[in-house]
Amino acid sequence: MSAGTPRAVLPPDRRTDESGRPGPVVIETRDLRKTYAGKVPVPVLHGVELEIRAGEFVAIIGQSGSGKTTLLNLLGALDTPTAGAVVINGVDLATLDEDGLADFRSDEIGFVFQFHYLLDEFSCLENVLMPIVIRYGGVTGAQRARVVGLLRRVGLDAELDKRPGEMSGGQNQRCAIVRALANEPGIILADEPTGNLDSRAGEEVFALMREMSREQGVAFVMITHDDRLAHVADRILLIEDGRVRELAKSQHRARTAGTLLGVTSDPTAQAEHGAQA
Amino acid sequence: MTSGRSRAHRRGLGFEIRVATRHLRSGGGQTWLTVSAVAAAVIIVIFVTGLIFGLQQKLTDLLTEAIPHVTVRVADPRPTPLAEVPGAPPGPSSSRLEQLAPQQKDIDDWPRVAATIRAVPGVILVNPVVRQQGFVSKGGHAIGVGVVGADPTLQEEVTPISRYMVAGRYRGLASDEIVVDTELAKDLNLAVGERVRLMSNTGASDAFTVAGIYSRGQGRGDAYVTLRTAQSLFGLGTAVNVVFVKLRDIYRADQIADQIMGLVPYEARSWSREFPVFLDRLRMQAATAYLISGFSLVASAFAIASVLIVSVLQKSKQIGILKAIGARRRQILRIFVLEGLGIALAGSTVGATVGTLIVYFLGRIEQPAYRPGQPPEQYFPVAILPAYIGLAVGAAIIATVLAAYLPSRRAARLNPVDVMR
Repeated sequence: MSAGTPRAVLPPDRRTDESGRPGPVVIETRDLRKTYAGKVPVPVLHGVELEIRAGEFVAIIGQSGSGKTTLLNLLGALDTPTAGAVVINGVDLATLDEDGLADFRSDEIGFVFQFHYLLDEFSCLENVLMPIVIRYGGVTGAQRARVVGLLRRVGLDAELDKRPGEMSGGQNQRCAIVRALANEPGIILADEPTGNLDSRAGEEVFALMREMSREQGVAFVMITHDDRLAHVADRILLIEDGRVRELAKSQHRARTAGTLLGVTSDPTAQAEHGAQA
Repeated sequence: MTSGRSRAHRRGLGFEIRVATRHLRSGGGQTWLTVSAVAAAVIIVIFVTGLIFGLQQKLTDLLTEAIPHVTVRVADPRPTPLAEVPGAPPGPSSSRLEQLAPQQKDIDDWPRVAATIRAVPGVILVNPVVRQQGFVSKGGHAIGVGVVGADPTLQEEVTPISRYMVAGRYRGLASDEIVVDTELAKDLNLAVGERVRLMSNTGASDAFTVAGIYSRGQGRGDAYVTLRTAQSLFGLGTAVNVVFVKLRDIYRADQIADQIMGLVPYEARSWSREFPVFLDRLRMQAATAYLISGFSLVASAFAIASVLIVSVLQKSKQIGILKAIGARRRQILRIFVLEGLGIALAGSTVGATVGTLIVYFLGRIEQPAYRPGQPPEQYFPVAILPAYIGLAVGAAIIATVLAAYLPSRRAARLNPVDVMR
């Protein structure tokens, strides 16, 4: 797709195509392993297998230190696995060189971090245009119009020329979400995007991401510690002991209740706890 | 978004220029500090080279105004080893010097010699001259002096005298007139219009009227008479004994002297071979100027490198973000190299302007001339040298960009995961 060309019209829900069949797999991992080197090597991921389809909104949950961010970095081509493969849109990331990975991140993936990570010297609009400028060296009128439209859509029309230091945390995070969409990626990876916001701002941002995901037809993979937010995702992936397994909504609800009571009613988790004991 | 989606290639330096410009603008004091470091280095280079090469030019001008650029004369015989001298007695010495008879030092065919030399490229004037030793006396008191007999118009072009006149004149010198320097005038208590006697080394003498008194401020100078007068006084007939040559470029004197020697059967000596120690000192001065300039550029490069290293450290997170959202390693490298280039261009422009103004205003400071009757002279004999200003600017830009390159490489290698953790 060339610069400034609008994305092809997508079905409202990309999890299925027009005939109701599941959408294409956009993220796939095969026996993905990551061990951090050091005096004492720290294994984090032990053979992660997952598939995420176009347009899905996926929440990744798990304890602190369980490897959620490591997994997200590997999916986003920010880090390289110790073993196994990450295949995005049919491209094995291991086949790309450093420039190829940079282009890949630019074209295929948008990032939203816990901290907004906007550039302090640039205005909200300039920050949002930055991925386009990196990719093409400049911005066309159509690209600018599209981005301004998105900023208006998320309620930042009065903040276009404000710098990050002049905006609230919620506004900055909304700006960061629009930046992630600037190059019209097929995938957005979000690492606790609401973690640094108060609950009201967090809910607003989450609702916005959900809306954007539907509107733009983007696969959204979000790490969260907020069970309420995770519960409204299309799928919930639990990362535990370096492995990923999918939780049904009922399992997640039971697990959340168990966590609140200090026990778990999740039969799988109970079985795992029993095995560990 | 689908696999194989083709995107336009990255074009131009729009991103790099945008970020580098913003860094410089938002850098505030830090940017000004580095710009000032570059400017200071350029100012030092312009000032030092202006001062040293200005002084060098002044000294060279003083010397080459007092002596001809090339002097053509009959060569003195070289010492001959005794073993090659037939019938020489054996002894401890190994060679002997043959002195030429005075008449053998004459250049009889000087019109032909002058015409030949005049045709050599780079020669602008040829002046046939009689140069001898004589005595100037007044009231029985005689003082030895070098005597130059030459056409005043030609001589003015080779070693100007009128410029240094304290009293009287040199141009339009008559055959019974003489011009002497202030030292001789003081010793013999001479004034313009007074009569003196000039005696040659062969014993011939004649009376002359003092037409002018000059001062070059370089010790006792020659006494000047017309060419015909000197030829007659020293018994040379129509011959001369030296030919003075003036060149367009005094620094080609050695080369042109060699060329002249190939064309005429006489010795041609350049001013630089006559005064090798002087040239050596000039070279030492030039080396000093280059050393000071080099050190100031290196010091400035270190200052810039350290400021840019700090800048890279401060911006590591930003670099991580840019890489995470698609910036290539080369793009990050170029941002910081462009920052260095921006600093270099701003610093060298400011430095070149301020440095040139300093040299210009220093050059306008005057002191009274040490020679009586002369206009005030520069207190600092500085020169504005466009070539060295250009070199200073070029060297500062190269040094700054090199200084920026190392921290830029470090920035480009940063791993986004590490800096954003």
